[in-house]
Parts: sequence; structure tokens; C-alpha cells
Amino acid sequence: MDVSAATIAAAATTEQGLRLLGAGLAAGLGVVGPGVGMGLLFGSSIESIARQPELRGEIRLNMFIGIGIIEALALYALVVALILLFVVK
Amino acid sequence: MRLLKRIPLWGWAVVLLGLLVGLFFIPGGHKATFDVSGEFILHPIIRLPKLGPIDLSVTKAVIYEWIAVGVIVVVALVIHRGLSPRPSRFQTIVESLYELAHDGIAGAVMKGEGAVTWFPYIGSAFFFVLMCNVVGLIPLPFGTGHQLAFYAATGNINVTITLAALTFVFTHYAGIRQKGPVGYFKSWVIPAPPFLKQFIFLSDVISQIFRLVSLSVRLFANMLAGHFILAVFFAMVLVFQSYLIGVVLQVGSVAVFLFEIFVAVIQAFIFAILSAVYIGSALEEEH
Repeated sequence: MDVSAATIAAAATTEQGLRLLGAGLAAGLGVVGPGVGMGLLFGSSIESIARQPELRGEIRLNMFIGIGIIEALALYALVVALILLFVVK
Repeated sequence: MRLLKRIPLWGWAVVLLGLLVGLFFIPGGHKATFDVSGEFILHPIIRLPKLGPIDLSVTKAVIYEWIAVGVIVVVALVIHRGLSPRPSRFQTIVESLYELAHDGIAGAVMKGEGAVTWFPYIGSAFFFVLMCNVVGLIPLPFGTGHQLAFYAATGNINVTITLAALTFVFTHYAGIRQKGPVGYFKSWVIPAPPFLKQFIFLSDVISQIFRLVSLSVRLFANMLAGHFILAVFFAMVLVFQSYLIGVVLQVGSVAVFLFEIFVAVIQAFIFAILSAVYIGSALEEEH
């Protein structure tokens, strides 16, 4: 991002401001849900490993699948923010 | 020399603190601007003709993919030449990666014959995505003006959507080959009251199409966001005008780079295992 004073002044229209605000809200609020979901996932997987340590490998496998799917949701929010920043004029 | 040995630990802490405070007061260099998104624009290097809407020119992403494939081929040939029952360290690493793909991914998720038939695709996808991600963390002279720069081939939506499209095609091909075309689509219907049956079938169709999107966007966004953060951390020293923040940012850059290595391996693993889950679920008998 160009941070010289001229470009900051040029970007100061309402459209541009709302666009940046939308990008910030998308990236920020979009990771609340997946964050809570990740916490629940790790909590329950650690608890179940503690209950039955011999199933460690299976639980770890399913945990990684869960991580991949939940993280994808958080990244959709980031992709929306990137689209607002770089693709929408 | 003996005097240096007699300085206690808190003495060294005072020296370090003094150095950091001194760095704060040194006047920094002049402010420079940087454009993070410039690295992600692709210029064709060898111009090839367009085939309809698809441009066949060789760009930076294509060369990085060739480098990844070249690394895999060279490693495979070297290991094949020197296979020994008392493996060297290099052979142990490659063997454990292969075992992860064969037993950990294909064998653990797909049952029996499906694992044997589809392991070539799952293993290739795993190694290709892994090598593309890891080669993206090595600075190579493809930046603007032949500078050293990072670039991940999988940080380009075209590459990841091709890989996801391969998984998509193979999923339905495996299901249709095993159960016949009508039987495969019938397996998406579960016994339910009549109005609900159509709705469940429709939502199954939508979720199958959405798998294409999610598989590609997950890998693409992870790699793109990772390299963005990497570029911002490495170049942020130019924005602040102080040496103290420069030292702190170097530590932060190392931490972010280590995290990027972790993300690279995990994303390859997740892509391969989700492909295996999708193909396995198309092959399984009962619903």
C-alpha cells in the first residue's frame, strides 16, 4: 500500500471509505465463528484423546480434516476482504 | 577474558537493554514506500498462442510448477538409484513422506481396493502441492527486475482450481465406474418422505459443486494470505523509521516464516486427505 500523503488524500471519498470499511469488517467479523469452532474442535479432540489414548492416531487424523474445513470458512471471509480491496474499483 | 566470565546474568540483561534503548535513538533511514500486491501480478515470459479463452503463455507460475515437478523427479531418481536396506537420513525422510501418503492418507480413509486404485492420484496430488508450497518459500530470481522474491505457484487461483477440478472429475468418474451412472446418482437419494427427498438430493448436488470451490479456495487463500503476511513483515521495516522496530520485526519475520512452513505442509496434507475422503465416499457401498 502506498502510504504517501498524496494517495491518502486521493482515497478520501465516501465510496472508497465504505469499501475499506467493508473489507475491514469482513476480515474481522468473519473469523469470529471459525475461531469459536476451532476452539470447540481442539477442546473435544484433546478431551477424547485423554479419555482413550490408544485412539490417538485416528483422532488426530479427523482433527486435521476438521481444521482444514473450518479454516476454509475463515479464509472465505479473507477472500471477500481481498476482493473488496483489490478488485472492486 | 576472566573479567567477562565474572559478569552475572543480570549484567548481560542491562547491556541488552542499553543496546535496545540506544537503537531507539539512532535516526532511521528515509521513509520508503512498498507495493505488496506487485508480486502477485503475472507477466508472460514466453508468449504462446491463446487457445480460445485460455492463454497458454509461460508465466512465473508455470515455471515454478516446473521447478516443483523437477524437484520431485530428481529426488525420486536419486532415491531409486541408491535404495539400501540401511537407509540414509535422506532416504528415511522420503520414505516417511511416502508412507504418510500411502498409509496415512490413502490407506486410512479409503477402503481396500479403492486405496490401491486411487493412491497414484492422491500421492501425486500430495507431493505436487507439497513441493509447490515449499518451493514458494525459497527465494528465486523471478521478482521484478530479476530480484530474489518468494512466489508460491499454488497462490494462484488458476493452479488450485485445476487441482480441485481433477479431484472433482475423479470423484464422479470413480462413482460412475463403480456403480453405473444411474446407480451412482441414486446413491445420493436416501429414503425419506417425498417432498424432503427432492430437497435432500438438491442440497447434495449443491454440496458436490461447492466442494470444487472450497477445495480450491482453501489452498489458494492459505498460500496467498501467507505470502501477503510474509511480504508485509519483510518490507514493513521500510515504513517505520527506527532501527529498534527493525530488530523486533526481524524476530517477527522469522516467526512468521516458520509458521508459513508449517502451513505449507498442513495444506498439502489437507488437500490430499480431503480428495481421498471425497473419492472414498463416492466409492463406498451403502449410504
